[in-house]
Amino acid sequence: MRINFWYISSFLISLFVIIPILTVFSSFFENTTNYYQVLKDTFLLEYILNSVILLLSVLILTFLIGTGSAYLVSFFEFPFSNFFKWALILSFAVPPYIYAYSLTAFFENYGTAYTILKNLFGEANYNQIIPKFDGLFGVILSISFSLYAYVYILARASFLYQSQNLIDLGKNLGFTKFKTLYSIILPAARPAIVAGLSLVAMETLAEFGAVDFFSINTLTTGIYNSWIAFDDLAFANQLSFYLLLFIFALFIVENLSRKRAKYHFNSKSGLKQKQKIQLSGAKSFAAFSFCFVVFFLSFLFPLSQMMYWTLKFPENLFDLQIIKLLTNTLYLVFLSSLVLIIFALTSNYGNRVTKNKTLNALSTLSISGYAIPGVILAVAFITFIAWFDDTVVKTYGFLSIKKVFIGSILGLVIVYFIRFYSLAFNGIKSGYEKINISVDESSYLLGYSKRKTFMNIHIPFLRNSLLFVFILISLEIIRELPITLILRPFNFETFATTAYISASEDLLEAAAVPSLFLILIATLFIIVTSKYILREK
Amino acid sequence: MSKNFFEISNVDFSVSGKTKVKDVSFSIENEGDIICLLGPSGIGKTTILRTIAGLEKIKKGTIKLNGKTLSSDKINVEPEDRNISLAFQDNSLFPHYTIEKNILLGSDRNKENKEQKLNLKEIIDLLDIFHILKKYPHEISAGEAQRASLARSLLSQPDLLLLDEPLSNVDQSFKEEIQVRLKKILNQLKITTIIVTHDSYEAFYLGLKCGIIWDQELKQFDDPYKVYHFPNSVEVVNFLNRGILIPAKVTGKNTLENSDLGIIEGNFIREYPMGSSVQLLLQPEDLEHDDKSNLKLEVVDRKFRGTNFIYTLKTPSNTLIPVFVHSHHIHQHEVDEKFGIKRPIHIEHIVCF
Repeated sequence: MRINFWYISSFLISLFVIIPILTVFSSFFENTTNYYQVLKDTFLLEYILNSVILLLSVLILTFLIGTGSAYLVSFFEFPFSNFFKWALILSFAVPPYIYAYSLTAFFENYGTAYTILKNLFGEANYNQIIPKFDGLFGVILSISFSLYAYVYILARASFLYQSQNLIDLGKNLGFTKFKTLYSIILPAARPAIVAGLSLVAMETLAEFGAVDFFSINTLTTGIYNSWIAFDDLAFANQLSFYLLLFIFALFIVENLSRKRAKYHFNSKSGLKQKQKIQLSGAKSFAAFSFCFVVFFLSFLFPLSQMMYWTLKFPENLFDLQIIKLLTNTLYLVFLSSLVLIIFALTSNYGNRVTKNKTLNALSTLSISGYAIPGVILAVAFITFIAWFDDTVVKTYGFLSIKKVFIGSILGLVIVYFIRFYSLAFNGIKSGYEKINISVDESSYLLGYSKRKTFMNIHIPFLRNSLLFVFILISLEIIRELPITLILRPFNFETFATTAYISASEDLLEAAAVPSLFLILIATLFIIVTSKYILREK
Repeated sequence: MSKNFFEISNVDFSVSGKTKVKDVSFSIENEGDIICLLGPSGIGKTTILRTIAGLEKIKKGTIKLNGKTLSSDKINVEPEDRNISLAFQDNSLFPHYTIEKNILLGSDRNKENKEQKLNLKEIIDLLDIFHILKKYPHEISAGEAQRASLARSLLSQPDLLLLDEPLSNVDQSFKEEIQVRLKKILNQLKITTIIVTHDSYEAFYLGLKCGIIWDQELKQFDDPYKVYHFPNSVEVVNFLNRGILIPAKVTGKNTLENSDLGIIEGNFIREYPMGSSVQLLLQPEDLEHDDKSNLKLEVVDRKFRGTNFIYTLKTPSNTLIPVFVHSHHIHQHEVDEKFGIKRPIHIEHIVCF
């Protein structure tokens, strides 16, 4: 094996990302404060139970919504089916915590629902008949309608590549549409659906904003509390460890259940282009209704609620420094995306050219950083910097580095980097997987060096993947809450933090303006790049 | 110092630690010569090409080009520094570039080094790919992709060109024409070429020399005529799938005898002691049909092959013998009928093992 530039850079990048994960694992052997005993005797079971209920409910809901809508738009033609194809990904623009604000704003006592009913039917005590979507149920709805798009996008991509031959085979065997769905289409799309659900699972377990808003105790809020209230980082880490174990267990169960089944087909040899089935009558109406309800609930409902409040309380609009918030948000987005893409690209290429097993294993492990909640990453980062400053920097008489990393853009970008590295790495990796290794070999044989192959062959090929990764990271950063909240510089606010701060002060009307802008910017990002996200060729 | 343009000495070819072909030695004497390597699928032919191109390393032996060592247990010149071009069997075109751009990338390599002996237009005409120039690799057929890949390799004017089953996906009707054009252009440009194929007729036509790879070894490396008529082992006979081996006894300087066919005359390619028992190679073209002959064998099968029929005959000792008969021959024989063999049997090159 040759140690070259690519090997060393990939190794260092992976190692950097893996440190917090190792910290979490090593915490298992550390001593904790009395808080552990207190918690064990009181709320720990509740934390775990809530997390499990939340996770399972969200997985079931996102599977039904995401796969159902993907199936309809991929296989059938019905009114507005082409519109729904991309409109259904707009839910990405609404983070769970803003969805939670909308739910509350609409259904609370004297909320929007009350106002509508009053305007329609006159004054009455509607508060008693209006259902309350709060607590655990509220969290489940907020997360599901915000995150089902992960399942939708991946399932739809998989459905698109399914061969007409397979579906024809189902017809030939006399299968009904339903039997074709569950015995051919869904099993063939299983890896994609599971990949989508895995993302949902990780995001759900790491969710902070919505869970905190509805005051539900989960492992994630437990981590936050053990740090804030008891300053017990070791225990916070241990809770994260359980979270990670939980996620790994899910992966392992899925992998084992797949056994040796093969899901990929070589579509080179004349597979027929899939023909969509034209629906009519009641079936067409049912398909339209399903997609419309999903679109309405996931996007139009929170958007219109936030718009309504913004218009109802226009003074909030003028209280905010919109331009400042916008530049702050975009500054973080572009800076972090750039850093993430450059490093993830380097690491991917290093893995590809060195073909080294250790490096490969390190990279695989490093991408599990996505499973660590933002809260714990931010806390772990602060602790690490504090420890390093106290034990290393000051010992040698250097100036404190705390200010450089804590409460600074640099620190914020570093933690974003660790948190979203897996998104960037995996996104680019999936692009790389489409480049046959013989393409590299052809390039070498044409006299191109490794660097030239990287610049002239890979980068142009990966252009779309890079754009896609950029959008994914951007959306995450625009919506990101706990890391930004903990690590942002003094007086440096984004739309997300401004919305959170207003909401946590029970000023939901004031949270509406930044929430609305957040949704609009994210929507713009999605619309601009929807053709890449949904590309059919 | 060796005068050979290209030389492989005692090389073990392996991939992922697994040896595919052992202790291979052969050479290409002159620049511009074309040689072919023949063998069944999966035997390691592609591994040999990949190793020569520098994509796989070796632990034993040496590979030299123009007097310079490219590979040995200590040396490994990187693929990009070898000026060796390999046209892969599978489509290895850059998927994000048009065919034209893909092909033009081939000319990047020799911009500074060589005078361009062949321009793009000639190559396009040669391989008949004008109609696909503006297309992307996923929009063309496998055969067209192979020709485009070949065009890119030709345009790079390498010191050594390696072609891995270059025409395996080309339509049969077009294949022979391409073979003729390819041979002409390679000779014209004096590009030294190693072609890997499993098609013996392609190898015999294109190659100045042919190597037969079988059972992890290079069994024979010789000019095509000799490989065909003077195979040096039973394995080569089996691979070329020609004729059968029948027991015989050497009865004279130019004769031997088989219990079913009687005396057979001809020229031995190797000497055998009088009275020794051998296995004689009997090829379908060695026996002649003669209805008047008293040597009659039973027809058990008849295959129509366009220009000829192949009769399968059963001898009294139940040996099955193939015999060619021109398809215009008037007197056809059905299965179970008797078929006369002309005597005395004369075989030009007697090959025994």
